[in-house]
Amino acid sequence: MAAVAQPGATTVVQQSAGGNPWAGPPEGENVFGMITQNVSRLTEAKPPRAWYVAFAIALALLTMFGLSLAYLFYTGIGVWGNMVPVAWCFDIVNFVFWVGIGHAGTLISAILYLLRQDWRTAINRAAEAMTIFAVVCAAIFPGIHIGRPWLPYWMFPIPNQMGMWPQFRSPLEWDVFAVGTYATVSLLFWYMGMIPDFATFRDRSTTKIRRIAYGIVAMGWRGSSRQWHRYERAYLLLAALATPLVLSVHSVVSFDFATSQLPGWHTTIFPPYFVAGAIFGGFAMVVTLLVPARQFFGLKYIITLRHIELMTKVILGTGMLVGYAYGMEFFIAWYSGSLYEGFTFINRLFGPYAWAYWTMIFCNVVAPQIFWSRKMRRNVWVAFAVGVIVNVGMWFERFVIIGTSLARDFLPSSWGYYVPTPTDYTTLGGSFGLFFTLFLLFCRYLPTVAMAEVKAIMPEAHVQHGHGGAH
Amino acid sequence: MAKKDSDSEHDAPHGGHEDHGGDSTAAVTDDVRLPGAARVAQIAGGVGVVGVLATIGLGVSAGDDLRSFSFAYLTAYVYGLSIALGALVWVTLQHLFAARWSVVVRRVGELFAASTPVMALLALPILVPVLMGNHQLYEWVDHAAVEKDHILHHKHAYLNETFFAVRLVVYFVFWAWLGRYWLTKSVEQDRTKAKGLHAKLYGVSAPSMIALALTLSFAAIDLIMSLDARWFSTIFGVYYFSGAVVAWHSLFALVLFWLQGQGKLVKSVSVHHFHDIGKMMFAFTVFWAYIAFSQYMLIWYANVPEETVWYQERTNGPWQNVAWFLVVGHFVVPFLFLLSRHVKRNRAGLKLGAVWLLFVHWVDMFWLVKPSLGRHGELHGLPIGVMDVTAVVGVLGMLLAAAAWNARDKNLIPLEDERLAKSLAFTNS
Repeated sequence: MAAVAQPGATTVVQQSAGGNPWAGPPEGENVFGMITQNVSRLTEAKPPRAWYVAFAIALALLTMFGLSLAYLFYTGIGVWGNMVPVAWCFDIVNFVFWVGIGHAGTLISAILYLLRQDWRTAINRAAEAMTIFAVVCAAIFPGIHIGRPWLPYWMFPIPNQMGMWPQFRSPLEWDVFAVGTYATVSLLFWYMGMIPDFATFRDRSTTKIRRIAYGIVAMGWRGSSRQWHRYERAYLLLAALATPLVLSVHSVVSFDFATSQLPGWHTTIFPPYFVAGAIFGGFAMVVTLLVPARQFFGLKYIITLRHIELMTKVILGTGMLVGYAYGMEFFIAWYSGSLYEGFTFINRLFGPYAWAYWTMIFCNVVAPQIFWSRKMRRNVWVAFAVGVIVNVGMWFERFVIIGTSLARDFLPSSWGYYVPTPTDYTTLGGSFGLFFTLFLLFCRYLPTVAMAEVKAIMPEAHVQHGHGGAH
Repeated sequence: MAKKDSDSEHDAPHGGHEDHGGDSTAAVTDDVRLPGAARVAQIAGGVGVVGVLATIGLGVSAGDDLRSFSFAYLTAYVYGLSIALGALVWVTLQHLFAARWSVVVRRVGELFAASTPVMALLALPILVPVLMGNHQLYEWVDHAAVEKDHILHHKHAYLNETFFAVRLVVYFVFWAWLGRYWLTKSVEQDRTKAKGLHAKLYGVSAPSMIALALTLSFAAIDLIMSLDARWFSTIFGVYYFSGAVVAWHSLFALVLFWLQGQGKLVKSVSVHHFHDIGKMMFAFTVFWAYIAFSQYMLIWYANVPEETVWYQERTNGPWQNVAWFLVVGHFVVPFLFLLSRHVKRNRAGLKLGAVWLLFVHWVDMFWLVKPSLGRHGELHGLPIGVMDVTAVVGVLGMLLAAAAWNARDKNLIPLEDERLAKSLAFTNS
């Protein structure tokens, strides 16, 4: 439930709040007007200093990303720490990490919609945007991982004079389709949801450029009841179609590993375990982004403590699912009686990468336990801190799975120890630059909150409002 | 758009607490007592006892050291247990998610969730032979085999008679306590009209769900997966869970239809509630298929002999048809059938879907358990017989009797639950 300040409360204080034109309570004659004003002012008023500072940092990181990639393309993938036997590491770890982050958006917009969780309306737009940007970040890594950046189109089944096709039996190829479908549907979902809000921006615009720009993307939306009817039908259909995608994408990503015979990779629980982990990491990223956003960009009237609390509950719950998978893997590694399975897990605990394993356990299993306390769930900065910790943990989870399993497999003679190079770190750090740059631009130019949807769940929007009775 | 029903949480300045969508003293005009419950319990219990005794009688007289009996009985047992655990999971989740739509039907769920003690009793025909060293069912009970086999020897620390029994006791003590707790607290509220109970139950539900997930998974490993003691799969507990949820919602719908046929809950439980139960049946049918596919595909693709052997047994000979039947009958058909909104909101349609899913879930259990009967290659044809029928009748009869017995002195609706008005007014547009 979105909570905008009480109608009739003081609406004079705005522009003044600490010199931040985005903060301060929203103004408007009624609750609907206040929502519109609260969201629209982010694109209409000049951003606060916090936005410029954040944007400068993000741009700097993005530049670092660009330079890392340029260096990579100029020199070749030898600039990474990848070696034999660890032929996949940061490139694939980062890919899985970013794809995972992208899961919260569709979960919130599709599954929570089907489950009638109205509270999602305050956060779904930002989460969907985050999904798109995370998928953009993710898509870069397989592209650069192939080492021939001029040939990534070979991943697609394009008829060609060489009669050459991708290997359809490879899960890596299924990934291309799974992530491609996911990106397409998420983009459609995101865009379609924004159309009514674009129309609001268009109608409020005071400059010609804004009128034309938002007018084009609003696609002639007039808000007629017929348009709304079509819109809601389309939304329901897209939600139903997107729901299996929430499960399929990370399941297919898990197939990349689980179809192999490598101990630590080949285990049947991987698909649901990866999906749970993706939702876990995705929600942690939503919290990480929205806590500062609501604080600095004046969205705390719409994204309330209740939303933060509910998200922390999802983090706690999915963290438990991930913990279940860790535990079950361990038990079965022993139960199987397989020498290699058993060794892999002992090696994770006490081997050369034990530090990574225990980091993962602390971040993903121990840290979220703080959310058993309601007080902690409602403390935004605790939520933010745990969100960051969980993101670190989920990155380490992929590192543990990919790196440690490869470093020590069947034959001790072929064991190795992977050490990342500075380029590995700058590429990873730089990808955050791309992500944050896109997200900050989104905050500045697009409707950060689904205004129309938030309004639709306000008590005032209901027929029975004020009559108190059930229907 | 989302349900046009205002939310009622603490931070919403508009409306504050539960004052939208009805006032909190709900007007249930239905008949919520089931005076015939004791009679139902007697009949179902009588049929159940006869079924179980007949199975035991047939099993003993088969003269195969209880071999055919054990497998037939275990099939029926894990089938019945999945339904009882499905109910327990369902009730726990309603509290955990603070669900409002389901309040009006929750008591019926609680009656089944509190029926696990009878499943403990029914575990005896499995447990007693194991404790007496009968190894027809579980190879790991055979000490000679365990000594010869490196893998079985390795697992002996876990797979041995004493620890098996201890684990079953632990599971059942927890399940019985939890089921009883949900029912007692809820019934108590009917009487005391205490406010704020849901906050307390919510607090219990979260740790309970963790314990439930673990006990259910390990029960599946102990009872079913260990039939082929060399085989292992990390997803196995989730597989059993997914089937349990499907089976529970199916039986749930049928029980509610039956109650309405008796003139109970006619006005309170509407097509909207049935629609939601149908959605759960549909969703978990898909989830079951997802889990089943994940397990099969990963084992097939990696092609490691120690894992494929399990599917080798289950996809060859007479089992090939059963496996294909599950693909079509447990996924394709119910998926296409229950996809339709019309079917889920139609009494005959949902009934048909529920009966079908209960049947295919039994086939699934049959396909999990029975192929292990042929692990020494002595199997010819599909091992199905009279005992399979009597065992299912026995177990289901006892389960229904336990639920009906629980119902005999209780309301069928938690009349004092503060969310009841929301549930009565619930629409599924």
